Amino acid sequence: MLDQCRVVIEKEVTKMNYERELLKGNTDALLLCLISHTPMYGYHIIKEIERKSNGYFQFKEGTLYPALHRLERAGLVRGEWQVLPNGQERRYYFITEKGKQVLAERLTTWQNFSSAVNSIIKPTSA
Amino acid sequence: MIKQPMLTRLTCYLDSLRTCLRLDSKIKKDVLKELYTHLEDKSQELKESGLSEEEAIETAVKHFGSVQSIARQTYEVYSSGTWRQAFFAALPHLIIALLFALRAWQSIFWLTIILLTVISVVLYGWWHGKPVWLFPWLGYYLIPVIVTGILLVYLPGGWFWLAVLVYLPLALFVLISVTKQTITQDWLYASVMLLPIPIILGWALALGMSKDFLSIERQLHETKGLVALSFLILAITVAIFIRVKQRWLKAGALLTPELLVLVIVAVASRGAISFWLWLGLVILSIFLIFSPAWLERRLTQNHQ
Repeated sequence: MLDQCRVVIEKEVTKMNYERELLKGNTDALLLCLISHTPMYGYHIIKEIERKSNGYFQFKEGTLYPALHRLERAGLVRGEWQVLPNGQERRYYFITEKGKQVLAERLTTWQNFSSAVNSIIKPTSA
Repeated sequence: MIKQPMLTRLTCYLDSLRTCLRLDSKIKKDVLKELYTHLEDKSQELKESGLSEEEAIETAVKHFGSVQSIARQTYEVYSSGTWRQAFFAALPHLIIALLFALRAWQSIFWLTIILLTVISVVLYGWWHGKPVWLFPWLGYYLIPVIVTGILLVYLPGGWFWLAVLVYLPLALFVLISVTKQTITQDWLYASVMLLPIPIILGWALALGMSKDFLSIERQLHETKGLVALSFLILAITVAIFIRVKQRWLKAGALLTPELLVLVIVAVASRGAISFWLWLGLVILSIFLIFSPAWLERRLTQNHQ
C-alpha cells in the first residue's frame, strides 16, 4: 500500500515537473500574447491565464512579476502606472514593437514545434 | 477597508519582501507598490467570494509565494548591469592600471586630475541614487583616508600620538558610516568598495614602505607591469561582478581574482612578503569581502 502511494506520488511529481518546465519555456510567449490583445496589469493577467486555460496553469502569483519585469528590461513590454476610475493605481503593461516581433517569432516556432510533435505522437491513418 | 490586525499580517509580509529585495531604492518602491496592489486585489476578490478578511489575506499571501523566491527572481532581473555600467564601474581600476603602466605615478598633474575625478564622480553618484557603478569609485575615495593613516607612522614621536588620537577616530567614523550606508543598499556593494584595499596594502608591503624613496621608485619601476596587471584584473573582476546575475557568482567573482592578485603581489615581492604575511592578506581579503554580509545581518536585526 505504502509502495503504491509512493509510486503515485512520484508519477505526480514527475508530471508536475514536466508541466513546470513546459510552462517555464513558454512563459514569455504566453505573457506577450495576452498583453498583445489588450494592455493589462498583473492581477488581470493572472485572472486571464486562469480563465483561458480553465485553471490548467497554476503557479505562485508573485512569480509573475519577475517575469513581467524581465520582459520590460528586455524592451518587449512597457509598464506604466494608471489611475483607475475608483482612484486606485495599477501598473499596466503594453506590448512594444520589439515585443510584437518577438511574439510573432515565438508563435511560429511554437506552431512548427507542436505540429512536429503532433505528427509523431498522433497515430497516422497510413 | 482592511482591519488593523490583518493589515499587520500584510505589512509583515511586505516588510519581509522589503528586507529581502536588494534593489535600487526607486525600483524597490515601485516593485513593492505593484506587489501590494496585487495582494489588495486578490484579498478583495476572496472576500467577495465569501471568505473572512483574515482568511482572504492569509490565502492571498499563500498564493503569492515565498518571499525569498520572489526576492531572488526579482533580484536576478535587475542585478545584471549593462556593459556601459560595467565599463564605468571598472574605470577607476583601469585608470590606476594605466597610471602604473604609463609610469605616471610621479606626475602631480595626473595624480591631481585622478583625485579630482574620483571626488567628482563619487559626489555625483552619491547624490544621484547611488547607482551600482559608484562603489568601485567610492573605494578609491576612501583610500586616501587609509593611506593618510598609514603615513602617520612616519611622524616624529609626540606628533605621531597626537595625530593618531585625532585622526584615527575621524577616519574610522568616515569609513564605518560610508560602509554602513553602502551595506543598507546591498552588502556586496560594500565588498566591491573595499576590494582594492588588500591589493594596495600588499603592494605597499611588497615594495617595502620602510625603505628610502629612491629604492621604492626603482622597485616600482621594475614591477610596474605587474602592478598595472593587478589593477587590470580588478577592473575585469568588477565588470564581471556587474554583469553576472546570481549573488553567489558575484561573491565568487570578487574573491577568486583577488586571491590571484595576492599571489602575483607575493611573487613580485621577492621574499619581502613572507608566507604568514601573505596569509594575513588573504584573510584580510576574505574578511573585507564577507564581513559586510555579517554587518548587514546585524544592522537588520537591530532595525527589527
